[in-house]
Amino acid sequence: MNFAWHIITLIAIQMPAILGYNFVFGKGKIFHFGPLGVSLITAYASVLTLVHTQSFVLSFVAGLCAALLVSLLFAWLSFRLEADGLGVISLAVHLGLMAVVLNSNVLTRGALGIPGVKRMAFLQSVSDFAIFSGVIAVIAIIAAYFLNRSAFGRRLSALAEHNWYAEAVGVNRRHTHTWAFVIAAIGSTFSNFLFPQYLTLLHPSDYQFHSFVFYIMVIVAGNPGSVLGVATSTALLMILKESIRFIALPAAMIGPVRLMLFGAVLFAAVCWRRDTLFPPKREV
Amino acid sequence: MALLSLSDISFGIGQHQILRNIAFDVAEGDIVGLIGPNGSGKTTLFNVLSGFLKPSSGAILYREGDITALSAARRSRLGIGRVFQNFGIFRDMTLEENVLVALEALPKDRRIQLGDLRTVVGETLEMVGLSSHAKKKAGCLSGGQMRLLEIARTLKSGKELFLLDEPTAGVSPKMTGQVADLITALKREGKTVLIIEHDLPFIGSICDRVIVMDVGQIVLQGTPGEVKKSKELQEIYFGADPTT
Ligand SMILES: Nc1ncnc2c1ncn2[C@@H]1O[C@H](COP(=O)(O)OP(=O)(O)OP(=O)(O)O)[C@@H](O)[C@H]1O
Ligand SMILES: [Mg+2]
Repeated sequence: MNFAWHIITLIAIQMPAILGYNFVFGKGKIFHFGPLGVSLITAYASVLTLVHTQSFVLSFVAGLCAALLVSLLFAWLSFRLEADGLGVISLAVHLGLMAVVLNSNVLTRGALGIPGVKRMAFLQSVSDFAIFSGVIAVIAIIAAYFLNRSAFGRRLSALAEHNWYAEAVGVNRRHTHTWAFVIAAIGSTFSNFLFPQYLTLLHPSDYQFHSFVFYIMVIVAGNPGSVLGVATSTALLMILKESIRFIALPAAMIGPVRLMLFGAVLFAAVCWRRDTLFPPKREV
Repeated sequence: MALLSLSDISFGIGQHQILRNIAFDVAEGDIVGLIGPNGSGKTTLFNVLSGFLKPSSGAILYREGDITALSAARRSRLGIGRVFQNFGIFRDMTLEENVLVALEALPKDRRIQLGDLRTVVGETLEMVGLSSHAKKKAGCLSGGQMRLLEIARTLKSGKELFLLDEPTAGVSPKMTGQVADLITALKREGKTVLIIEHDLPFIGSICDRVIVMDVGQIVLQGTPGEVKKSKELQEIYFGADPTT
């Protein structure tokens, strides 16, 4: 039973961040490959504030500010670079942020991470956590669903299909894309405020490349831009990812096997959606 | 008073000069044809007018305001509408959404004037006989239907100046008639139209004035009658006549 609660919690905690990122990469088709860089800084800002102030409110606010700051840095880059350039640079920024965290030993304890992260008083058991994060996830799904069908969602789709056509009908690209990055930051704040509390540990390895691959996989498999599709694939693929633990494998093998599995799922999803994933740009 | 006024517009990519010193005025309510051989820079000129490309020199005045530095979206909100050579329709969105996204992008006071946007969407689709496809993805429309939808959308979103890039290209003769009717309807409503076309009889039948471009320059302008008689047009368009 505890394992079921655990899975529900993991799914629910990731939901806001993934749905937020889905607006940028899935629906907006913006090649921003640094969402884990945003998560990383958000989690550290939130945990360090908590350690130093003992205030959950301040911890959340610090996380939100950090998320907005880093997410808007990516937004700024996206306005200055072409799609391919942004893809490469955003990966580099993620690595750069990781290097900063790992090397600021005094503040972050580097690769050791920060143990003993306090949980909010009402979140002591796994089931409490599952229920609370579940409620947050459901709210995130509903909010994303309505945003997706709003004027903002239409603007984002129009820009994704052809930014000239969209601008010609009056859609402001900067304005719309900035909002997409802000929504991604808000989602990331909820996820990365809760995640270290759930583990009672903040560890940089949770924000490495393999976590990013999981995001991409979930969005591609769930149908980029679709809220219900991505929410469903988050749940299914998280179950798949966590059940690897039950296969009798040496501990050292779990990581590589998991990555290979991700690779296979991505491969299948891309094959399946070959034509619709990123349709070729048309001439004007 | 000129609605649109271009002075000394030049544009180039690297060493390659695509537009050279383009200057002309378009009076409010006029339909002006823009013709010229393939690659003469007509679409590029439209891209400069729409705000996608920044000219290397010159100025664009719209309603006597300088819009040269404004973004494409700002120009659209000021009332400059564009119909693209390759159908500026969002194929992954439904017909309804295609119209709605344009209405929602209007400045707030204009949106309020329109009232219920969904009603306007209905009227727009009705206008071009596409009401029954409202919930379908626009990608399943024929080229002619997309063109009609794009023109109707531009009209219903209250644009004043229309930049139509080959509106009859890729459209069957029967639908060409419908497109022509729609353009004449624009004129009746007092809209101003700049239209790129290769179909000379079509241009002759609807335009007040014709501008001829060749290798990025204006080589000739006048009424359709004057231009048609000109020898230069013969040479540019059909090649030099060996018998003369
Ligand atoms: N992005 C670009 N990069 C390089 N050259 C370009 C670019 N866009 C246009 N050109 C060149 O500019 C010239 C004018 O092109 P443009 O599309 O404006 O012609 P056009 O008059 O619209 O032709 P058509 O009648 O075939 O549509 C062409 O020689 C084209 O090759
Ligand atoms: Mg052209």
